[in-house]
Amino acid sequence: MNPPSNPTTSASRRYLWQFGLSMVAYMIVVFLSRLLWHTADGPWQTVIALAPMVPAIFVFVSIVRYLLDTDELRRRIAVDSLALAGGATALIAVTYGLLEGGGLPRPSAWWTFAVFMGSWIVSGCFVRRRYQ
Amino acid sequence: MKNRLKVLRAELDWSQAELADRIGVARQTIIALEAGKYAPSLPLAFKLSKIFNKQVEEVFIPDPTD
Repeated sequence: MNPPSNPTTSASRRYLWQFGLSMVAYMIVVFLSRLLWHTADGPWQTVIALAPMVPAIFVFVSIVRYLLDTDELRRRIAVDSLALAGGATALIAVTYGLLEGGGLPRPSAWWTFAVFMGSWIVSGCFVRRRYQ
Repeated sequence: MKNRLKVLRAELDWSQAELADRIGVARQTIIALEAGKYAPSLPLAFKLSKIFNKQVEEVFIPDPTD
């Protein structure tokens, strides 16, 4: 008798599909948003500028679903690495914020996102190694 | 916490992937459990014991330092 299909494997496959499709949609909408932004005016300009947030929310939902559906060790690895990335980002943000008082230029808010994602990748490698 | 997962699995001639599929976790989780790198939650410990028809204390052995 074959064992029932593994819910963790299904969750991983579903996550890869949903995350991948959402990221492709995000890139297409960002491209279109940049293309159309100058052609609009008034409130439509804001709507077009924020349009990439729709697929970005789907990316977020795919991560949350993965966290809910995967097995306990993978969830722990994901949550631990997210916590470490959040802490590292906060430390870097506070450090730079203090340096801003000393005259360093104010960076784009995108840097926070980039630092968080970079920290998440690095912390993920360290946390995974702990359980190997 | 130590465990007898590797021995019990070998007795039934199951691969790590097969055991993982039977209890619905990733093979990575079985590897971490067998290596003693990860202590499972109570529900997972009961699930593993049940699949080997054993009591929890027959599968998982507390470390004296725990």
